[in-house]
Amino acid sequence: MSDKTIKVLLAKKKIDVHGRGTKLIARELRDAGMEVVYFRFGTVDDIVNAAVQEDVDVVAVSIMTSGQLHIAENLILKLKAMDMHDVLVIFGGTIPPVDFEPMEKMGVHRIFPAGLPGGVVADYIRENVGKLDLS
Amino acid sequence: MSDAKHSEKFEQALAAWQQGRERYKDKLRPNATLSGIPLKTVYTKEDIRDLDLDEMPGVYPFTRGLYPDGYALTPWMQQMVFGYGTIEETRKKMEDMVANGMEGYFGYNVFNVVYDVPCMYGIDADHPEAEGNLGQCGVHMSTGDDYDELVRDWELEKSNISMITGDNCLPALALLVAAAERRGKDATALRGNSMNWYPRIAVQDVPSWEPTWGYALAVDLIKWATKNAPAWNTTNIFMYGLSEAGATPVQELAYGLAWGKSIIDAGLAAGLAADEFIGRLSFQIGCTQNLFEEVAKFRAHRRMWAKLCKDAGCKKPSNMHGRVHVHTNGYILTQQQVLNNNARITLQALAAVLGGVQSIHTCSYDEATSIPTEESHRVALRTQQILMWESGVRNVADPLAGSYYVEKLTDEIEAKAWQIFNEIEARGGYRQGLESGEIKRAIDNSSWEIKQNINSGKQVVVGLNKFQSESLDQVEPFRVDMAIEKKARQRLENYKARRDQAAVDAALANVVKACQALKDGSGELMPALIDAARAGATNGEMMVPMREAFGWFVAE
Repeated sequence: MSDKTIKVLLAKKKIDVHGRGTKLIARELRDAGMEVVYFRFGTVDDIVNAAVQEDVDVVAVSIMTSGQLHIAENLILKLKAMDMHDVLVIFGGTIPPVDFEPMEKMGVHRIFPAGLPGGVVADYIRENVGKLDLS
Repeated sequence: MSDAKHSEKFEQALAAWQQGRERYKDKLRPNATLSGIPLKTVYTKEDIRDLDLDEMPGVYPFTRGLYPDGYALTPWMQQMVFGYGTIEETRKKMEDMVANGMEGYFGYNVFNVVYDVPCMYGIDADHPEAEGNLGQCGVHMSTGDDYDELVRDWELEKSNISMITGDNCLPALALLVAAAERRGKDATALRGNSMNWYPRIAVQDVPSWEPTWGYALAVDLIKWATKNAPAWNTTNIFMYGLSEAGATPVQELAYGLAWGKSIIDAGLAAGLAADEFIGRLSFQIGCTQNLFEEVAKFRAHRRMWAKLCKDAGCKKPSNMHGRVHVHTNGYILTQQQVLNNNARITLQALAAVLGGVQSIHTCSYDEATSIPTEESHRVALRTQQILMWESGVRNVADPLAGSYYVEKLTDEIEAKAWQIFNEIEARGGYRQGLESGEIKRAIDNSSWEIKQNINSGKQVVVGLNKFQSESLDQVEPFRVDMAIEKKARQRLENYKARRDQAAVDAALANVVKACQALKDGSGELMPALIDAARAGATNGEMMVPMREAFGWFVAE
């Protein structure tokens, strides 16, 4: 994972609404030199299949209308089932802080609340990609 | 007309003022509104000298308000959004809120019901993609039984029912009409709002109808309601959606009016007379905590919409009323130090009241994390009630009229908004802007700029980039029990088991035909949808032929 461009799959859960946050994150990551596969909306299966096909380094899921625990659990299970362990998994959006720990216990590496100053997500990815995985 | 001559007294005051600030004035940091309008630190009578201030509330062009005495006649409607789970949970919520004093004009009921995303997309509880989404962030309401429960025991003529739909706008109205009929009423008894806000797809990254059909569906609803439900508001011009996507107040105003104009144009092109339908269009506008800018925006909005209506041919003054429901902006709320949001929400509601709007939904302090808890929802309602009953702001119409600053700002916002509006119109109007993606790009750029300003600290957000805490508040959010998914599926199953399947199938076959008739201009869709609703078709079932006929498009 040295000089290779970091590849991120950025998806909103299916079904969901409002893309303001995801668009800002996409721009932030691209400005940081990453390759962003902007998936728009996907079921867990859609996201996992795309992640494997695109051979991404990071799976980033944006959620606005709830369902984070259900999706996080299934996503991690399915990524592992597809033998995709070398991946950083992050979530963001309208997710209550009390859910962060349960989601981390499921295997999600980091959950980002809305409104963070720029660069936080890109920095996190740069510092942790290749170091953290799904075990 | 020479009030231009300064009085000697003012001259002296001006000179003394200049002397008083000589030492530091060059060190002052210039400020601007959220829309980027430069601000002075002091406004004087000079700033309003050339403005036309010969206006009264309740008189065209309504800058000072729609009604002669403002809120003295009736306060604004406390139209709080609610809805989650199945209709059973939402029905209980409705009754609680009425018990908590939520009311509309003259004490009438007002229900602002939001559907869950599956309903908005037009999928029923048994659809695979509904899993995990049923009843979250909205009520799952798709069968005749659901709608019967919605309207049960409420006096329809005294109940304002707003249905916050997505693409299911026409089926939802059909289902409501059928429910009213089962109550022994017809559509003339209906009061409330259809969203009909298809043009929102200019800024929301969700698939929807192809633009030609989106507008055709909107006009179909308008035509039907104009004939059959004269007290029903057919269209909600969703300016609020534009501001939540990142539009500045000026952009929100400009694009919102362009949106409204595109509906006016579509209605006129379909053969409706101006005074037949324009008066039943209304607005949903956002409100940030930038107090005076928002007040000026609301005043400019009324003035501008009245002019557009007049130009379109309206003769009756009340048809030129820009009636406004305010939904306070959610994007300014933070997860960090969550109780701070109460101060923000209070400022937003105050701006709306000073701006003279007709209806307000106040967000709850925890909405950056989830839908409201019982408590936070009640606090949001109480915020309005405190404004209404304790603050005195409702006692005088348009209290900021005559303010040098607010009058000047009203004019400046109007001028800037006309500029953008005229540019859009020159290029073919809102529809063209929607199809080309230019409106989305302009608003996305504003969203980016706001983010940059927050990142750099230029725009302060207390608790986020200034006065931060070590960690996030561990607030227990409102949770919609996933068990309701089973309940929703059961309700659907029970409903389907009881109906005359043959009648439903026949009615849906007619919907297919009616969709085609709408497309080739030979007929209407709403009557067929109402027949289907009467026969027992569900929200999702009606959407299937509609989606097949009218395509699926993403504004990019």
